[in-house]
Amino acid sequence: MTESLLFSRMSRRRRWLNQTTRWIVGLGGAGVIGAITLIFGYLLWVVAPIFSSGEIASNPDIAVVEREPVLVDVSENGDVFLRLSRQGILEFYDAHSGIPIAAFNLNTEVVHAQRVYPLVDVYAILDVHQQLTFIRTQYIVSFIDNERKLTAQLDYPFTNKPIEVGSTSGFDVHLNDNELLVAASDASTIRLYRFEGVEMGYPLPTPQRQSIVTDQAAYHLYLGARNEWIYALSDQGDVELFDIKALSQPRKLFSANLLPPGAQLTASNVILGRYSLLIADSLGQVVQWGLIRDSTGTRLEPLRAFEFDTYVHRFVMEPRRKGFAALEHNGNMTLLYPTSQRKIANLKTTIFSASSSMAIAPRSNQLIVANNPQSIKIFDLDNKHPELSLRSLWAQVWYEGYPEPRYSWQSSSADNDFEPKFSLVPLAFGTLKAAFYALLFAIPVAIMGAIYTAYFMSQKMRSWVKPGIEIMAALPTVILGFIGGLWLAPIVEANLSSVLAIFFVLPTLLALFALSWSQLPERATKPLAGWYGLIVTPIIVLGVYLAFDIGPVLEQYFFGGDSRTWFREVLGLNYDQRNALVVGIIMGLAVVPTIFSIAEDAIYGVPTHLTNGSLALGATRWQTLVRVVLLTASPGIFSAVMIGMGRAVGETMIVLMATGNTPLMDFNIFEGMRTFAANIAVELPEAEVNSSHYRILFLTALVLFILTFLFNTFAELVRQRLRSRYGSL
Amino acid sequence: MNAAAVGISITAVVGVLALIAYQGFSHFWPSDVQLIKFEDTQGQTHEVYAELVELDHLSVQQFLESSGNAKWVEPDTQVLARWLLKTGNRRISPPDFRWMYQNQISSMAPQANLLAIERVEWGNAYGLPVGVTVNGVDATLTEPAQLGALLIQRVSRAAVIRTDIDALESGPINHISYRLERLRLQERALQLSGDNNLQRSNEIKEEVADLHEQYTQRKIELSNLYKLLDQDQLTLSTASGELFELKVADILHAWQPNDMSTWQKSAHYIGAIGRFLTKPPREANTEGGIFPAIFGTVLMVLLMSLFVTPFGVIAAVYLREYARQGPFVRFIRIAVNNLAGVPSIVYGVFGLGFFVYFLGGNIDRLFFPESLPAPTFGTPGLMWASLTLALLTVPVVIVSTEEGLTRIPRSLREGSLALGATKAETLFKVILPMASPSILTGVILAVARAAGEVAPLMLVGVVKLAPTLPIDANFPYLHLDRKFMHLGFHIYDVGFQSPNVEAARPLVYATALLLIIIIVVLNLTAITLRGRLERRYRGVES
Repeated sequence: MTESLLFSRMSRRRRWLNQTTRWIVGLGGAGVIGAITLIFGYLLWVVAPIFSSGEIASNPDIAVVEREPVLVDVSENGDVFLRLSRQGILEFYDAHSGIPIAAFNLNTEVVHAQRVYPLVDVYAILDVHQQLTFIRTQYIVSFIDNERKLTAQLDYPFTNKPIEVGSTSGFDVHLNDNELLVAASDASTIRLYRFEGVEMGYPLPTPQRQSIVTDQAAYHLYLGARNEWIYALSDQGDVELFDIKALSQPRKLFSANLLPPGAQLTASNVILGRYSLLIADSLGQVVQWGLIRDSTGTRLEPLRAFEFDTYVHRFVMEPRRKGFAALEHNGNMTLLYPTSQRKIANLKTTIFSASSSMAIAPRSNQLIVANNPQSIKIFDLDNKHPELSLRSLWAQVWYEGYPEPRYSWQSSSADNDFEPKFSLVPLAFGTLKAAFYALLFAIPVAIMGAIYTAYFMSQKMRSWVKPGIEIMAALPTVILGFIGGLWLAPIVEANLSSVLAIFFVLPTLLALFALSWSQLPERATKPLAGWYGLIVTPIIVLGVYLAFDIGPVLEQYFFGGDSRTWFREVLGLNYDQRNALVVGIIMGLAVVPTIFSIAEDAIYGVPTHLTNGSLALGATRWQTLVRVVLLTASPGIFSAVMIGMGRAVGETMIVLMATGNTPLMDFNIFEGMRTFAANIAVELPEAEVNSSHYRILFLTALVLFILTFLFNTFAELVRQRLRSRYGSL
Repeated sequence: MNAAAVGISITAVVGVLALIAYQGFSHFWPSDVQLIKFEDTQGQTHEVYAELVELDHLSVQQFLESSGNAKWVEPDTQVLARWLLKTGNRRISPPDFRWMYQNQISSMAPQANLLAIERVEWGNAYGLPVGVTVNGVDATLTEPAQLGALLIQRVSRAAVIRTDIDALESGPINHISYRLERLRLQERALQLSGDNNLQRSNEIKEEVADLHEQYTQRKIELSNLYKLLDQDQLTLSTASGELFELKVADILHAWQPNDMSTWQKSAHYIGAIGRFLTKPPREANTEGGIFPAIFGTVLMVLLMSLFVTPFGVIAAVYLREYARQGPFVRFIRIAVNNLAGVPSIVYGVFGLGFFVYFLGGNIDRLFFPESLPAPTFGTPGLMWASLTLALLTVPVVIVSTEEGLTRIPRSLREGSLALGATKAETLFKVILPMASPSILTGVILAVARAAGEVAPLMLVGVVKLAPTLPIDANFPYLHLDRKFMHLGFHIYDVGFQSPNVEAARPLVYATALLLIIIIVVLNLTAITLRGRLERRYRGVES
């Protein structure tokens, strides 16, 4: 009885242990699958929003006191909206509840009001007396009894003394650092007022004034980047461009008609950064005209065009990005972005008219419309990554300021109005270039080495060589990169011709050595058979030494004394100290062991009865090698190369340290490159979380992940096929 | 020809290792300091004390193109020899490194009684001692040899005081500021929780006041020590006869290289290596030691093996012992294999996104709301770095363990089961012990890979200079949220980001050498273990 009780208790414990183990082990197995899917899934999850399209969501109308609006806007955090009416009343409302918060009377009748870019809380107000005033809004959040309370404030950043601007049909104002420039036009005269040393809270200094007479009546004025030029546009689409950098001597830079024949101007605006104009015509086309400066002078070029069903009669610009909303005559609203040439979202509605007061919020997440005096409507915009499209990632893009479309990677800059350039092509090119030069060096060395080790080498030496080369695989790449960047690169730079000479001298010398070796009597060579690998080492050292000896001579005779100058002037190849040659050699060294090890396994694994059979049939060792062994092992060698390529593509530290990391598009072996992996290492720590830049870097990581995963899977499948074939032989 | 390929590979490996070993080892040797007389471009003669660093050759053509002085070129020569000289004395007579053409130098001889001084800041100084001030009183000695001996004695006294200062700063003072920070957070947490616990808040205030008082006392002790340290002074004369004064407090180490016997030099050499291994870096990592980097690497790798070993072994056991062998398991096996081939930077990206921002961010929001917006775990740190590397190396452990499991003969499993053992008992008592060498091999290989990996770490937790070690005397002793230093990153950072590459290069070689030694030793251990394992199972199978 007791015995059986004991047994059953034991048994219960044992069963419990058995079950728990099974459970834990199962969990571990699931963990592996989970980890793989998690990596893939998470990367995908971060990347996915890039490809989602934007959305415009409509909110219910907010009823407001009946006044005719001239300006509406939303605060930075989206909590408050404001409306300035023609009577000069500025009202603030809670954006969620529609409850009025505050109201101010400016005591004047307002004709026109607009933001003073690049600020989002300062507005320029033009009244019926042809006077200009600046106002600034402030929103203060306070907690009273743990309840969040918002108050809105109004002040005059440059005191409330107005500026006389005279009768005005076209108007623009722009703040560049602390230089405020006001432009007002009346028919064909532009009047410019430049205030220098402007500071918030202090009165404006006396302005510098200038008048420019235009050929056509300039009804639309747009100041250029850094207030250096001004675009004057007539109703017929004639643009005149004036250099106003030195205000005392304005200079006409360019003039042209921007409209196709027979079309009329229906709307125009300037894109953030003020390098390009948007011109809409009556044929339903919107063209982005960019300012281009080169040796031939300054001109406007059509960078890209958008087609619409009906004509566009209004643009609403995003205050902090280059995107904009285009309103069509039929009431359609479309969100667009120039760089990616994307129509991001579309809304069919009838509430917009050309004269509605409208604005996009500073964070580009809301759009506010005052279509009639009694109500306000706020749309929620979901448009986080408008600058990305397949086109902007992979195709040539005509960026602002460039003379032609190009591939460019330039993710960030100190300027706020910078146009990020997210072309992945230079990075993909750099990745392939690095891998190409590395494999160019690695494949011959690794595969020939593998053939020799597996087929000719004595067992004893093989047992030393294989682990030796495997240890090479374990060498940290940071050390190889350091050797490449700080040791090899200066040597190559100083002795370029000698280094190039190595590639000729060494093979020649080795061939000569091999030839003379085969002439030696067999009695002398026999005991050393299988040890050639070691015997040639002094020859290699000698070859390198010799190459360095004849390098300067070559330099003198072929390269006119300086090989770098020769390459630059005769072949047009620029020379960087840290270049693809250095990367090729060093990364080649890093890839050699990978390829070697797998290729060697494949060759070694060729069944001996195949080689024996071949030899027995009278083939020489060489014939057997080429026709039987290599042929049988070729899939294995191929998979070795694939895996080596996977490693070269994803290698980070070597490329980071041994190249200059400039995203160039040039196959020149003497210039550097920037690869996907190095780019991630350089830029990810600085990228703002969840920004477009961040997601693109994740995208490149995902591309690397998928690419190497595919390479490796393919190689693995080939190897498994091979193994089963050997098995059947 | 094929043999040559092997030859090239071997030569390259041996060459790289030899280069690093030579450069790394030679840095610490106290080489003679020469008095060099040379002529400048205007033809005037100057004198300078310098260590010879490296001899280099430049073609005459390049020399003349870079507007070199044609006078120094001897007729019928193609190349010019030039020395890289380490003249030290940065801040006194710059530059501290300079190239000098052989033909420019008229004489070169070691100067007797010359002092080489490692300064706290600005690198080495070289000069003849002219006077020493001890405790504010000028010593009456005038002989350079005696002055040198006296100085070396005073420097060792300063070293003792400096140790006391360090102990005080990193001990009690550090502890007090840590406690203060904790109390600040507790107070903040109390505010956030919303209940007005007056008693607790008063307690905190009292404690803070108490700590402040302790702090003031410690500060007084500290300033006394500094006063003690500040009393001695040394006057040195440069080769050109210029005099300059140095506080002994600013001298870390002084020696007379030209008067040392080989034995003394060896002792100095070993001491220098010792300091390199045990001291923290100074001067933007270009001087001093690499102890925090060694510590960080080891700790990170240990933590990583804590994560990776159980996970890897369990996964391998699942794949080999528990899962039904079929296409699905085959697919997983291939996938695991491939994970080893995925570029390490991808793991870094994943680690940064998932561990740091996603997991870390949420942990902060849930458990450390009091210190927000300053992140605790929502920023790169030790924990996330070791987890990321664990993920990176888990395929290595799985593959190696599986290999070990496959080698165990079926008969052993069946025998155990036939004797009535459950599957779990078979696993624990028979299979795992037999597979342990291969598990160990896997873990060693994983550790070796992790120790040399840099790219992912740059994203998930390594910094160029960590103010504190991740382990210290403050509760909870092991600070998983701290950033740490790493040997591999140290190489990258010092070699490529440092302002004074010339001064830093020898240290980078030395660091690289250390890293290589660690990794090669680990790999050799793994290879030997694997070899032994193979031999053992040959016995079992037959």
